[in-house]
Amino acid sequence: MNHSDTKQGIGASVKRTEDARLVNGQGTYLADLDIPGTLEAAFIRSPVAHARLGAVKVPSEYSNQVFLAADLDFAHPIVAATDDPQFQSTKQFALAKDKVRFVGEMIAVCIAPTRAQAEDIAQSCELELDELPALWDMDVATAPDALLIHEHWRDNIYLKTDVSVGDLERARKDATVSLSKSLSMGRHGAVPLECRGVLAHRDRRLNELTVYSSTQFPHVLRTCISRAIDLPESQVRVIAPDVGGGFGAKGNFSPEELTIAALAMKLDQPIRWIEDRRENLIASPHAREHRYDVTVHANNDGLILGIEAMIRVDAGAYSVWPWTAAMEAGMVVGILPGPYHVPAYAAKSQSICTNKTPMGPYRGVGRTGACFAMDVMLDAVARELHLDPADVRLLNLIKPEDMPYQSITGKQYDSGDYPEAARKALAAIDIGAIRSRQAAGEKDDRLIGFGMSSYTEQTAHGTAEWVSRGLPVVFGYEPALARLTPDGKLILHVGIQNHGQGLETTLAQVASEELGIAVADVVVRHGDSSVSPYGMGTFGSRSMTMAGGAVSVACGQLADKVKRIGAHLLQTTADAGTLSDGRVHTETASVALNEVAEAATLHPERLPEGEEPGLDISAVYEPKRSTGAFSYATHACVMAVDPGTGEMEILDYVVVHDCGRMVNPMIVEAQVVGGVAQGLGTALYEEILYDENGQPLSSTFLDYMIPGCAEVPDVRMLHMETPSPHTKYGIKGLGEGGAISPPAAVVNALNDALKSLGAEITQTPVTPLRVLEAIESGAVSPL
Amino acid sequence: MKQSVSLTVNDRPVEATVESRLSLADFLRLELRLTATHLGCEHGVCGACTVLINGEPARSCIALTVSLGGDEITTLEGLADDPAMQVIKQAFHDKHGLQCGFCTPGMLISTRDLLKRTPRPSEGAVRDGLSGNLCRCTGYQGIVRAVLKAAEDLAAS
Repeated sequence: MNHSDTKQGIGASVKRTEDARLVNGQGTYLADLDIPGTLEAAFIRSPVAHARLGAVKVPSEYSNQVFLAADLDFAHPIVAATDDPQFQSTKQFALAKDKVRFVGEMIAVCIAPTRAQAEDIAQSCELELDELPALWDMDVATAPDALLIHEHWRDNIYLKTDVSVGDLERARKDATVSLSKSLSMGRHGAVPLECRGVLAHRDRRLNELTVYSSTQFPHVLRTCISRAIDLPESQVRVIAPDVGGGFGAKGNFSPEELTIAALAMKLDQPIRWIEDRRENLIASPHAREHRYDVTVHANNDGLILGIEAMIRVDAGAYSVWPWTAAMEAGMVVGILPGPYHVPAYAAKSQSICTNKTPMGPYRGVGRTGACFAMDVMLDAVARELHLDPADVRLLNLIKPEDMPYQSITGKQYDSGDYPEAARKALAAIDIGAIRSRQAAGEKDDRLIGFGMSSYTEQTAHGTAEWVSRGLPVVFGYEPALARLTPDGKLILHVGIQNHGQGLETTLAQVASEELGIAVADVVVRHGDSSVSPYGMGTFGSRSMTMAGGAVSVACGQLADKVKRIGAHLLQTTADAGTLSDGRVHTETASVALNEVAEAATLHPERLPEGEEPGLDISAVYEPKRSTGAFSYATHACVMAVDPGTGEMEILDYVVVHDCGRMVNPMIVEAQVVGGVAQGLGTALYEEILYDENGQPLSSTFLDYMIPGCAEVPDVRMLHMETPSPHTKYGIKGLGEGGAISPPAAVVNALNDALKSLGAEITQTPVTPLRVLEAIESGAVSPL
Repeated sequence: MKQSVSLTVNDRPVEATVESRLSLADFLRLELRLTATHLGCEHGVCGACTVLINGEPARSCIALTVSLGGDEITTLEGLADDPAMQVIKQAFHDKHGLQCGFCTPGMLISTRDLLKRTPRPSEGAVRDGLSGNLCRCTGYQGIVRAVLKAAEDLAAS
């Protein structure tokens, strides 16, 4: 690849280092690994949603190739509970014991030289299953006489929460309008294009169980495996090779990882499992499925006086480690007020256990649903009061002069100008022109609508945030080891995992900023528990802020040492040096990094007196405040809808975004646009439906639609850049944000378009059928 | 059941005896270790496994190896020296047309075919032309820009 950029530090749109191997087909993903003697695994998964598990009949010729729960009874089950004493926890064994609780739950693992052969063996086994009624929906699971999915529980609810802040009585009394609605967001999946996969083998020389996994957090996974099968962490190594997308779905400790690791250790045999797409859609953690009953109390101008919400989440059959089954609902409760000033707030939540695939994190966790509920309600209030939704939004957005702002749920919004983002979005989409177009009507009789949505996204959650959630792990920091090699090149060893975010480039840019070194001279090593200090991995829009901060600190210290040595080599005073273009400069002379590095590593006799040889600096970074850096944005879109067919088209989509200081604007923009595409999937296409037997109905890409090239519009982006006061360089995270607002913006645009028919959409994904149903039940006949 | 088959892969003649159910994708990946061809769905929808069969793009996950006797297969590895592909790869790099890289080989092969058939496509034609290749990361914007740039660069060269 040809690189032509000159300025390569913070703020430069440097083209990506990782592209070279990927465009040449030389990326190495899990299925590409070639460990001699590897046997391939296929799981026997439950074909039914809820049953007592009897015998598994294995043909005698395969008795050494099929393994059941009893074969892995040395492995501890996965337990993910919050520290709330009311939380009802689950035990998920590597392979099901006694009972199966969702379609796709693993019952046995079959191994053979090829996956096809392993699947043949799986096919030849017979299951004895005594079926139980399927609790296939949260209403079914919470009915008064519902069977208990986990027999020792009080009811089928992991956790109920109830918060109330501010004077709601007064809000109710003072309100001109108290508007209540039920809203819902469908269940779907993260659906990375590369499915999951695990390969485990014992390295006999090192006496180490090496586990390759398509994971977002190798160190954390090492800890999980070590604890689950009672191996010291020093005898477990976890490597994430190239990972073909994660979006949260690969940031869990999965029973598949546990099973493969345990079996490889037990048999002293390399074993690999590659997930197929059907498994991915039915057994990889699911996302969303929220139901809301929301009441907004507002005055005559649309000013919010108070909000009451009941939030229910279908968290599936088991609690996913480490996030727990209460994660989605918990985050919704905390962020539902969003970027708006809400003086009184009461929220109840239920995280409900059903006979469905466990619920895990997915880009936007909780916030996509919360933003949908809040922004769809704000538009409904505006319609009720005959106000423009843009005016109502601007009235309620937190003002820049109120920053930093403590939200009613105690979130510390750090910086930004939320109304300005909204105003810029309105100007960019030209709201005036849209209103004129609506008044004129369309030649093709389609209806046009405008919708907008604003969110604030807590990123780079630090110690305080994770402690408050009471999770098994507190992900408060990130390390970096910066190592200058004798030839003057830099290797960064980091604990995060890069799977599309461009971190091999952006972390090198941070090093370039601190050391004046060319990005091409920096290698970023990540995704391997043996190459970097302990780190937490990539999730929660944290890596650029956290690992970027750590790289900055390590490289800053390295720069000091390099300058001291450089100045000494140039026979000048210690503090006279500056670093740029790969050299240490004094006023009159300069010395190249490789000469400095050679002195520090191979020729200690050339060092100043008292200077320690070596150029390895390890640093750990935590933001100054650990309550998070809040990115925010306003999305605005124009939709056309055909009232006869329900067919929809996105005519325009604008994002005004602020993620603090941008390290690489090209990558920022692409992360946001990628998020928008996924958010449009949530809004319009993606849904994993279940029938009343608990059978998943969306198990291929023919019945589960992810947006294609023709479905996603060319997103127009405008940037704002308000630094966070808490983080290095003022960076805020941004990986998830793009996926937060699209469902709200799209549904608001549709409701604006359908207003004249008295129709209203309250459910995602909005399919053409749902549009037609809304029109049919609307107040005004379309004819 | 195994069957013998003779075919050409990346200009090299290949003789093999394989299970009749073995897909071309598995044959390329497992037997020939050509791992640029990726498997995203294994049911012919996502396009990550796109290769050329006799010069035409095809889903290698739903093509059976034994049915391809005498055919010429080209994978991304086989296009390393193809001048058009080099321009396309550079454009994907320049316009940030990839993130995790998993869909990229299939996307590149489909792009090459699209630009062969339609040397100066409109944005809409690019979006329609690549609608058989799914990408979960980019939102397609970088990909569309890359394809338009590649078209421009190929026209200029």
